[in-house]
Amino acid sequence: MEQLLAALDGAWRVLLVALVLGAGLPTLFAAGIRALAWGIGGDAEVHGAGIIVKPNLIGRLVAYLLFAIVRGSGALGIGYIAAHGMGWRATFDGLLPVFTPKQ
Amino acid sequence: MISVTPEFILLSLVVVTALAFDFTNGFHDTANAMATSIATRALSPKAAVSLSAVLNLVGAFLSVEVAVTVTNAVIRIQNPDGSPKPELMADDGHGLLLILMAGLAGAIIWNILTWLWGLPSSSSHALFGGLIGSTIASMGWGGVKWIGEGYHLDGVVGKVVLPALLSPTIAIIVAFIGTKLVFKLTQGVARRYQEAGFRWGQIFTASLLSLSHGTNDAQKTMGVVTLALIANGAWTSTTDIPLWVKFACAIAIASGTYIGGWRIIRTMGKGLVEISSPQGLAAESASAAVILTSSQLGFALSTTHVCTGSILGSGLGRRGAAVRWNVAGRMALAWLTTLPLAGLVGAGMWWIGHVLGQGVGAFVVFAIMCAAALYMWWHSKRDPVSHNNVNDAWEEPKDKAEAEATPVAGGTH
Repeated sequence: MEQLLAALDGAWRVLLVALVLGAGLPTLFAAGIRALAWGIGGDAEVHGAGIIVKPNLIGRLVAYLLFAIVRGSGALGIGYIAAHGMGWRATFDGLLPVFTPKQ
Repeated sequence: MISVTPEFILLSLVVVTALAFDFTNGFHDTANAMATSIATRALSPKAAVSLSAVLNLVGAFLSVEVAVTVTNAVIRIQNPDGSPKPELMADDGHGLLLILMAGLAGAIIWNILTWLWGLPSSSSHALFGGLIGSTIASMGWGGVKWIGEGYHLDGVVGKVVLPALLSPTIAIIVAFIGTKLVFKLTQGVARRYQEAGFRWGQIFTASLLSLSHGTNDAQKTMGVVTLALIANGAWTSTTDIPLWVKFACAIAIASGTYIGGWRIIRTMGKGLVEISSPQGLAAESASAAVILTSSQLGFALSTTHVCTGSILGSGLGRRGAAVRWNVAGRMALAWLTTLPLAGLVGAGMWWIGHVLGQGVGAFVVFAIMCAAALYMWWHSKRDPVSHNNVNDAWEEPKDKAEAEATPVAGGTH
């Protein structure tokens, strides 16, 4: 019973963080693609016949910002795997992770 | 100078068997990282397995901190510090080496059998199952750590059974929500444009999964090989591993990955759900997030279960996408049976090795394992799956389709 409770306790934490990272990041990425399509205009978006969709600077800027966030998180992911393999410990007290060698 | 004694031959057989297991671990798990990228054609099949193999190799070398105590989660053949139990160390560790040999043989046979069936079962469950079986045969039921104490997740229940139930559930939820949101947001973006963007995201997440696989799975075998060396007295440290072990394991898992378990890739990429690039990205992000978060929080899980759960979730999240529940059902059955059946084979192998005695026992176990592997490989030639036909349209296996077609001629499609 205690084992089940301990597992559920671990599981909901994993679920919470994984929702933010695993569902949140692709959502940002999708929003980036949406913004980029808007920013590029032309045939990138579904549009009615005869309507010319103009490129839009704000759309592109928003897209690049979103992609940068997603890329940064991806880079953190690589850093995390590498650090973990090297026997370092990652802690997330603030927004950015801190890597410290394990004792 | 190494002299060729019976003990040395036994040790060599165990090491070769462990590396063979690492190889099956590689091709069994290629699908976890790459099945969706291959199915959506974000990467060509050959490019996908090459990329995954290289990243597995890099990952295996990155894992400096190797757990020699890997078996302690489920069985009691080692002390908490990693040194083997003294009662297994008689005759140059023959008792311990036979347990490892039989357990690994059970794991390999189960891995190849599930590959033949195209089912993504967990390699860690197969390894633990095989070792549990051979340990029970050798030491009785007390040799197994069934359940952890108090709130510390440990033993078969805490490290294997509960995570196997919870982790795919988490992955299904995350991938389901991710897929829903992604499709909602990209409505109105031209289809072709959408696919191109998501392919890059997919390649990236697939790479992340391959790297993480290399750091996690290769070191399990490194731990087992080092334990065998300690049993024999060829190595003494329980905190370090020999460099050649690291090289050999890294190369074994990477070459296994490169060979590609095409049968399993096909089931995961084409059989379970028809997958599009946005779904692929959502599924792989969910897998990567669940795996990395769990490793940070110390929650043991099987990569295979997470990745299959994510693909299933991405299928549920897309309106109109059909999930083939019969395929999912077969997979679930394979998951439930992996541990006990690999255990049964491991126990049988131990008995054969034990009854035949120190001289020939391990040889016969090794020979049976090789014969079984070759037979299953030969059997697979009847309906080969390779990088050429991995993405062909999914059809139900012939005998089953015929059996169903007879009573309701033409009625189901």
